[in-house]
Formats: sequence, C-alpha cells, structure tokens
Amino acid sequence: MNSKDDNHSGEVARTLVEFLEVAITMIVFLKGFYPSAAFERRRYMNLVVQRASHPELRDYIQSAATGLLPFIQKGLVERVAVIFFSEDNVPVERFIFKLTINPSCAASVEEGQLEFALRSFLIKLSVSKSLVKPLPHNCRWEVTAYLRSLPEVGSSKEGELWIPTDTKQWQKPPVITPVKSLDSEPLCLQLYLEHPSFSEP
Amino acid sequence: MKRSFGSNSSGNNGSNKKTKKKNNNPSNQKTLGAAWGAASLPSSRSSFRSSPFSDFGSYMEVKNRKLQNQYETEASTSSYGVSGSEKLIFQGISIFVDGFTVPSHQELRGYMMRYGGRFENYFSRRTVTHIICSNLPDSKVKNLRAFSRGLPVVKPTWIVDSISANRLLGWVPYQLDQLNDTQPKLSAFFAPRSHLTPQLVSPVTSYPPETGYSEVEEGSAIRVEDSEESRDHVDNEFDGVGIENSTAETTEQTRNDDLKSSEVNAEILANPGKEEKEVSSELQSSTNLPSASDNKSVHDNGKNDGKSIATAAGSSIRRHSTLEDPNFVENYFKNSRLHFIGTWRNRYRKRFHGSSSGLKWADSGQNTAESAKKSTIIHIDLDSFFVSVVIRNRLELHDKPVAVCHSDNPKGTAEISSANYPARAYGVKAGMFVRHAKDLCPQLVIVPYNFEAYEEVADQFYDILHMHCRKVQAVSCDEAFLDVSDLRDVEPELLASTIRKEILDTTGCSASAGIGGTMLMARLATRVAKPAGQFHISADKVEEFLDQLPVGTLPGVGSVLKEKLEKENFRTCGQLRLISKDSLQKDFGVKTGEMLWSYSRGLDLRSVTAVQESKTIGAEVNWGVRFRDQQDVQHFLRCLCKEVSLRLQGCEMIGRTFTLKIKKRKKDAEEPTKYMGCGDCDNLSRSITVPAATDDVEVLQRISKKLFGSYCLDVKEVRGVGLQVSKLESADPSNKGSRTLTSWLSSAPASVQTEKDDNVIAADCRENADCKRHDTGGVSRLRESNSAEPSVQSGDTSSSLPPMCHLDMEVLENLPPELLSELDGTYGGKLFELIEKKRGKRKINSNSPHISLDGIKGSKSFSVKIHGLRTSGEKECGEPSVPHPSIATTSNERTIEMTDLMPSSLSQVDFSVLQELPEELRADLLGAFPTHRRQHSSSDAPMETCKKQDTEPRDVKDAENEIGFSCSSLWFGNPPPWVENFKASGNSILEKIADIYYRVAQSRPMLSTVLQHTVSEVGSFHDANANDLDKSVYDVCELLKQYIKLKVEGDIEEIYLCFRLLKRLAATSQLFVQVYEILSSFIQALISEHYGGSLSVS
Repeated sequence: MNSKDDNHSGEVARTLVEFLEVAITMIVFLKGFYPSAAFERRRYMNLVVQRASHPELRDYIQSAATGLLPFIQKGLVERVAVIFFSEDNVPVERFIFKLTINPSCAASVEEGQLEFALRSFLIKLSVSKSLVKPLPHNCRWEVTAYLRSLPEVGSSKEGELWIPTDTKQWQKPPVITPVKSLDSEPLCLQLYLEHPSFSEP
Repeated sequence: MKRSFGSNSSGNNGSNKKTKKKNNNPSNQKTLGAAWGAASLPSSRSSFRSSPFSDFGSYMEVKNRKLQNQYETEASTSSYGVSGSEKLIFQGISIFVDGFTVPSHQELRGYMMRYGGRFENYFSRRTVTHIICSNLPDSKVKNLRAFSRGLPVVKPTWIVDSISANRLLGWVPYQLDQLNDTQPKLSAFFAPRSHLTPQLVSPVTSYPPETGYSEVEEGSAIRVEDSEESRDHVDNEFDGVGIENSTAETTEQTRNDDLKSSEVNAEILANPGKEEKEVSSELQSSTNLPSASDNKSVHDNGKNDGKSIATAAGSSIRRHSTLEDPNFVENYFKNSRLHFIGTWRNRYRKRFHGSSSGLKWADSGQNTAESAKKSTIIHIDLDSFFVSVVIRNRLELHDKPVAVCHSDNPKGTAEISSANYPARAYGVKAGMFVRHAKDLCPQLVIVPYNFEAYEEVADQFYDILHMHCRKVQAVSCDEAFLDVSDLRDVEPELLASTIRKEILDTTGCSASAGIGGTMLMARLATRVAKPAGQFHISADKVEEFLDQLPVGTLPGVGSVLKEKLEKENFRTCGQLRLISKDSLQKDFGVKTGEMLWSYSRGLDLRSVTAVQESKTIGAEVNWGVRFRDQQDVQHFLRCLCKEVSLRLQGCEMIGRTFTLKIKKRKKDAEEPTKYMGCGDCDNLSRSITVPAATDDVEVLQRISKKLFGSYCLDVKEVRGVGLQVSKLESADPSNKGSRTLTSWLSSAPASVQTEKDDNVIAADCRENADCKRHDTGGVSRLRESNSAEPSVQSGDTSSSLPPMCHLDMEVLENLPPELLSELDGTYGGKLFELIEKKRGKRKINSNSPHISLDGIKGSKSFSVKIHGLRTSGEKECGEPSVPHPSIATTSNERTIEMTDLMPSSLSQVDFSVLQELPEELRADLLGAFPTHRRQHSSSDAPMETCKKQDTEPRDVKDAENEIGFSCSSLWFGNPPPWVENFKASGNSILEKIADIYYRVAQSRPMLSTVLQHTVSEVGSFHDANANDLDKSVYDVCELLKQYIKLKVEGDIEEIYLCFRLLKRLAATSQLFVQVYEILSSFIQALISEHYGGSLSVS
C-alpha cells in the first residue's frame, strides 16, 4: 500500500477516534452519570455537543479514544463498548460501537461524507434518552474495546494504557436495541444498546 | 498479479485501452511486421553484436521494453479489433507460447491483444501468468519445474474456448494432458512458492495465484488417492474447491487432514456401509479448512507430513496441544477414553436396536413401583474393563499391577484412567498421576488404550447378555442391568454365574455381578462382589445391608452432597432412614431429598429400559487446549464442529440448539500439574437456537464462531471447549420428506402415471431440488449424487420411457452431466442431439446469456472470480460462504466437475461480494444459476420447506414458475425485480407496496421507507382470499428475508426499523400477522448469530 492510501485510512481512523471521543462523552452525558454542570456545550461537526469540563474526566475519555487509534488503524478493533455497571460489577447497560474499517476503500471517501454520516450518530444519540435505563445506585462506567486479536505486547506506548478487563459477562445473550447504523465504505459503524435479557439472574 | 497489471497500465496503455477500438490506424499492419521482425531470434542476435549494450542482460531489458511498447501501441491501435464489442476477457492474463500450437503463435498473440491480455515473447517468471503449449518434449515434462516455474501450462484451446464463451474460462480443464501424470511431484515445490501469492491477488485477476494452488491440490489429490483408492475423483474435486479460499500451506495441510481423517474414519467405523459416506463428508469438510498454520514454513509442512504418517502408523509421536498439532482434535478423540465411552452408545444402539425393540418388552409398562418388589435385577460389570481388555492376551501381566494411561512418559504427569486389582491393592486409583502411582507401586506397568479391543469385547459382552435375557439396559460399554424377573424358572444366581463364566470364556475378562430387587440394590451388590465375584442382596437383607452403608457410596451422592450430609451427621444410610422425606426434601431440595429418602430404603423406581435416545450430542475437549490467537481458535472450532457433525451423522440426528461450553482459566490459576490439563477453570456456557435443525459442518462452524465471539475471551485463557447439540430431531429420511431418492422411488411409478405429460427425469430433478431444499449440508447432496444413478435406472424399469418430445429441455440441461449421459444412453444417443438443436435455436432467439451445458466451463470462471474477491475482500464479507461441492464420482472429465464449483444456490452466494461485482458480471452470474437451483435459494427457511413438502411436486413446480422471481435475487438493481412482480401479483396489498416503492424509495431503496409509507397510507387492509394469502405471505417473507440477510451485517438499525414496522402492520393486516410470525424468529436467529443477542421487541 502506498503512503497515500495510508494517509487516507489514517484519516478515517482519526476522524473516527475524534468522533468516538465526542460520542462517548455524549453517552455519559445522556446517562446523566455526572451532573449536567460537569459538561459544557461545544460545537463539533456543526452540531451542539457536550464536552466534559472536568479535566480528569475529559482526559480519561480523550485518552481512551486516542488510545484506540493505533489499534483502529491496524483494523484490530471490533467493538468499542461504553459499559455501565451496577455496584457489584455486573453490567447494566452497554453501548456498543461495532466498527469495521476497510482500508482499501479509504481513498475513495471524502472527509465531508464521513463527517456527515457520523453526524447522524450524534444527532440520534442526543435524542435517545428514552432508550436508556435509569442508572442504578452507586454505579460506575468504563470504556472497553474488543479487539479481533490481541496485539503484541509492547506494540505501542498508547497500548499500554489498556488493561485486560475483568468485567463480568452476562450469562444470557443480551437484548439489543439498535440506535444507528452506517454501512458504507470505508467505514461500517453500528451503534446499539445491549441490556441484560429479562431472564438474567 | 498486481505487478503484471501494473506493467499493463504503465506507459500510455492505461488511457489508450478505452479508445483503442475506435482508432483504426491504417499503418498498424506495418508495425506488426516490424514487431515480429524484432522478435525473431536471428535479428536479435545481429543487433546484439553491433549494439552498444554492455551485456546481454541490459540488451534484453531494453528489447523487452521495446517489444512491450510495440505490443501496447499495437493493441491500442487495434489492428485486430474488428468491432468495439469485445470484452477484455483476458485482462491481467499474460501468456507465453511455447513451441508449435494450433492456433499459431501469431494468432494467439492477436487474440490476446484483442481481448485485453498480454503476450510475452520471452519467458519471464515475473510477467508471464500462463504458458501455452500443445506439446512438450519429454525433457521438459520431466523437469517441469525448471520449465514452467510453477506457472500453469495450458493448451491453446483455453484461449479459443474462452473467446467463444466470451469470458475467461478456468484453465484447469485445459491443462496439458502430459502433465497430469507428473502432478504428484509438483506438490512439494509448489507449496513454498505460492504462499507468497496471496498478496498478489486482485479481484479481477485472481488466476495466477490460483495456479500454484491448484496444482498443489492436484498433487495432493493424487496422494490421497493412494491411501483412499476408491474416492480419487472426489478428492480431486474437493481439493479443487479448497483452492479458492485457502493458501498454499492450507492445501498441504488439507492433504494431511484428508489422509488423517480418512484413517480416523477407517478406524472408528467398523460399519463399511457407513464408512464411505462419512469418509467423503469428512473429506469435504476438511477441504474447507483454511488452516491456522498459514505462517508455517515449508519445513514445517514437511514435518507435519511426516508426522501425520507417523501417527497413522500408530507411533506415539504425537503433538500434545492445539498449538502445534493441526489435527489435534482428531487425535484427541482418537485417543480419548471418554470419547470411546461416549460414542460406544451409538454403536450399541445400532447393533442391538433390532433385538431390543423387536421384542417390544411387552410388560415394560407394568414394570412400575408395585411390581418392582418382586422383580430381580442383575447388574453386571466387567472388572477393570480398560485394563483387563488390554492385558487379556498377555498372560504374563495378569497378576501384575497394570494401569491404562494414554501416555507413559517419564515425567509421569499423565492421569491413570484405569488400574487393575493388583494395582489397586497398592492404592493406585484412576485419576491419579502416573508419577504418584509409581511412587506407590514402582513395578506398575503402564499400557496404552486399545480401542479396537474395547469395541470387540464390549460387543461380545452384550452378545452374551442379549442371549440370556431380553431386557438389557446398557449403562456403558462394560456395565449393564438385566431384568430377569420374568425368568422365573431360572435361579438368578445361577444365571449370573453362567453369564459370568461365558464372559470370561469368550472375552478373557472377568465380570462381577450383583443381584438385587432394584437397580440400586443390584448395583450396590456388585460393589461387594468385585472383583470377579457375585453377590445377592435378597429382599430381607436390604435393610441390614444398607444400615452400615456409607452415604457416599450411594449413586448420585457426590462429594459435595456427601460433605453436606456429613455436616448434618448422616454417615450411613441407616442414619438417613431416620429422617422424614419432608425434612430431607427441605434440606436438600425436592429431588435430592426424594432420592436420598428412597435410596436409603433401597427403593429405586427406575426400571430396566432399553437405551434411551440421547438428548444431546456433542464433543468436548479440555485437555491440551492452548491457543495463541484467533486463528488457532477458528481452526480448532472447525475441527470440533467437524467432529460434532460426524457424531450427529453417526446418530442420524440433526439438532437446533447449539451450546458452546468454554473452560476459562481461573484468574489466579497456575499452569496445571497435569500436563496440558485444563487446571482450575471457570465454566462458561452459551447457546443459540436456530430455526432449522441441522448437522451441517458449516452451519455448526458459523454458529460456534458466533458463540465463541460472544464470550469475548482472551483466547490464551481458554482451556477447554465443548460443543453440544440439543433439541435433536431425527434426520431419518421418512421424517424429512425425501432426503434420498431411493425412498421417493418406491412411490415414483404412481406419480409418473398420474402426471402423464411429465416424465421421470423431470420429476427426479424436482425431487433433487426438494432434497436440497431440505438441508443445506453438502452431505445429503453427496448422497443424492451417489444415489442418482441407480435411481434413474430403476426409474426406467418401473415406468416406460417418455417420448422425447415430452422432455423438458430446461430440466434436461440442468441435469448433472453424468445423469444426462446416462439418460442419453437410454434414448440411444439422441438426447444430446436434441439438446444441441434446441440450444442452437435458443441462441438465435435470445441474446441473453444462457448458461447451459456448454456454459459449464464458463461457470467455473465465475466461481473463481467470486473467490478471488472473497480472498481479497475478506474483511467486508465476514464469512465467505464456501460453495458445497457435490461429487461427480463417475466422471473423469474435468469440465463436468466444474459445474459443481458453483454455489448450488443463490443463498450460498455472498451477496456483499456479488454486489461488488460489476453490473455485467453480476448479470452473467445470476444467469449462470440454473433455474432448478434457483428454486431452493432459501433453503434455511423452515416455513418454506414445510410448505413445499406439503404440496405435490407438480404444484411446486407450477408455483415456482408463477412466482419465478421469488428466489432469484430480489434486491438487485433499481427498481429491484420484486417491485415488478408485486405489481403484477394481483394482490392489492402487494400492488400498493410496489406502488409506494416507485414513489418514495426509488432514490433510496430502503425497505423501511416503504413500510413506513405502507403503515401510514393504508388504513386497513382487506385481505384477499385464503388461497391467495398463502402465496402473498410467502412472497413477502421471501422478500424480507433476502433483505434482512443483506442488511444484517451492516445495518441493524434498518432491520430494527423494519421489524417494528412489521409489528405495526401486523396489527392491521392478516397477511402481515403471518409474515410477522414467520419473520420474527428468523430475524432473532439471524441477529443472535451476528450480534450474540436478540432484538428488543418492546
């Protein structure tokens, strides 16, 4: 692959990472995890979005998103999940970004098109309050990335920020509520919600 | 390939190509002459002499460049281009012509030029993709590698035929005949080279890489032949399929697998009738294994090769984990005692099914609690079965301590699976490490398993039991209950000793027997009787016996329950008896309490029954499981699925629910002491239920892959994997309609007579289609094609031959070639003429691409293209579906085999791939699906299958003709074909939908948009009459299913929308109620397959 292609797929990955940062913030905001005063209104892709005003929160989200960049570029990332836990570490709600990047087609897409497509995710997210469940008491959240295969140890510095998760799994297949899908070249992105199935103990 | 394409478009050729046909330069004749002048050898020599070039190499370089430029200018000015209509069918192909050919060198050059190919004057490994020649001297044949450098050597007819077919045909059938004999030798050196080629694969021109592969394949096929003489051509073809989606190493691997698996089968299956079938299915599945060892070097392959032979020869040099051994799963089960016990049951059922069910145990119904008191049960158990069978012929070991263990390595980390009584006297127990056992008993002899002997002895054992008593319940291969209550005239103790003696005489192994009033008592008695004795607990001694019996010895009381009981101070059954049933049930649960209560009284309500049908079938591996990466897992899952599929087939069962169990290393667990053992693990389990039961390897693979993915595990943590299939149904032909033709044939004469205007062949053909619809597996197709021949013959005998004018041409043309030639024979050779004639007519009548018998060769090239795309675009099409090859056992002709490289139906075609194809190609491809194949495009739709099954074959055909569109691709093009069909359907709702599509969705062909408008615009539907309704429901379902399949990978939002809209529509219309019912399960199954969850409904 020549460097031009590289640039392009890198471009897509960067856009995606940026988008993820915004989207994750939106999700946390949407869930009302922090008081809304902890966020400030910003403009992104010509949309009003929220941004964490607390530096640590902002840093966490930002580092989580940018930390994914090398893996996304390598096409390793299959899903990125924003998981909300109850007190005893059992997930109560998971926002899943399922993504596939096809680097070979990356060159053909225009930046503008991709942004336009991603915008629709943010719009949809901002009105998805009705889909989410109320937060349990004393909960926490985290960003988890599901990779297609484990990267080699020490492949990058950013990678070291990521640790294997010990999140508990649901015993039953979850109930899925799709939020938004984008099926195009070079990026195929789906955002959906997973809730534990009713029979979950 | 990339490279040659690059050189193709270098210079000005790229831009010229488009315009070349229009420019008719009068001067090009001259150019041509010049070009050939330069190409001829003498002139090149002379120019060399007087040239300023420093050496020959630089001269040749310049010369080649010049020739290339000449060729390009020529091609661009198109001296040969007669009209602008030619397709660039040879794009990416670059030939080198060797020696005398017909058509000549020069003509071939012209063809290549005209059809977008390249022609090299000098051979170069880098630029040439195919070598064309008609004949090769012996020296070249012998040293083909040096001559061809691994490139395909093809006859010139390939070019000619490709041109007449107007598409690039597969070169394989045109391979030089001389070479075929030498193929085996090629495998060795093709493998190393071709693993480089995958990177070169480009969608349009996937030929050169394939070259190497298939020659390898060829070689391997022949190798397999050596060991599996009977199935040579099958292999050939399977391997041919393997080509497309596997890399070179895989093929090496595949061969190993093939070899191995056939051997495994040969060993496992004593039943020769079954063997053939299973071997072939095995072969089929193994060819689809893109091996995990892609990165292994050639040396590795060599090793593997040697290794597989070694293993086959019974050597103990085995690889011990999934890491190193690609055939791990097979070896594992080959060497697993538990596996033997597990599969033994099927064997037993088959063997003794007749005898037990034939007698029908007349009084088994009465044999309940009340009569239980009077009943007498004998429990017979072979003493230390696994050891004594092995040493039965080794007298010197009889009184020595012996233990059976799968390995006797000096480290002693293997577990003992069984020890004989002398060994037990030293304290050696099953489950103990060899090391510890040897500490206890230094002279302990370790012997390996001998599974054949086990089978033999178990069979003898049961033969004896069945001889003496007709109520035999097999518990295991070495343990059984006999109900001898009816045999009043025989003293049970006498009977038991007779049986024991016979067993000892016949098998050389001693057995112990326990006699009691219930199964429980008999079993407990055996415990006292062992070894080699017998013990009778008569009714009056029961209490006495139980009083002192420790609770732990009761069957069903495990260590956990025992501990619990002991905590409560129940140590013997006598103590337990003092407690009321209620309080026991309160403390230990209803069932356990009940059990404890009755067991402590010696009561056992179970009665001796025949072997029950198993509720689940599965396979589990939890030893030696170590994965490096996802690929290892995939490979392992494939093998496991293969195993499970084989077991299902062995039991003639198909199942709907698939459970994947994972043993995951506990977080803080150390590497287990047992070598490669699973250690301390968390047990995880998830399952999926699919709408249609199956035993198909590929479906299993797909499901298990999804299930595994849903765990989101680190593969390195996995210590054990098991796949279990439940919700079993019988795969019996009678339950499945007509799975085999033979069953149908018995009723064939009648149906033939009633349908006078029809004929056997057509009916046969439909039946074929039917069968295929019933299951997606390649296996059944295999059976079909095996049975196809006899069926036609018997069909002929049972009914008179229909006159030729009544034959349905459509059907005839789509018949498998062997069948056709068979038929042709019965018509005295006139059939081919007829077809030829008809085809001629049709060609004149229509311009549409018509794939008939002569298009068979063509279809090959298409399928190859699909695969080319698949390999390159693997990411976008998550799971490339592999076409099921069927087997052309009888034919040596390659052209015929090629037909079956086509996916048998559109449903097997990966739509995402199809969509990527250029419009033209897609149309061709769709045309290439013979009509009778189209009929079963949605073979996995249960509803459809049921419906089809009910209707008469005749009706099915009519329906197909009417609907026609229903199964071809409904969503290609804009407007897609379904719109037209809906419009013409005559159903008001469907018409309305088509109408809405035209208005709103043409710019954005989304079904949700259409449905949305349907919801809002159509207030209430008045449903058509019931007859019409069925058809409409079917049509709509079909449409939706195809749509959903298209979208499930990339756009669940759309599916979710449609799903909810459907629900809303269902509130207003009967039609949509039915559609919703059918589809909701379909959607959920598909979603859970892809996303590991179900769509929220509320």
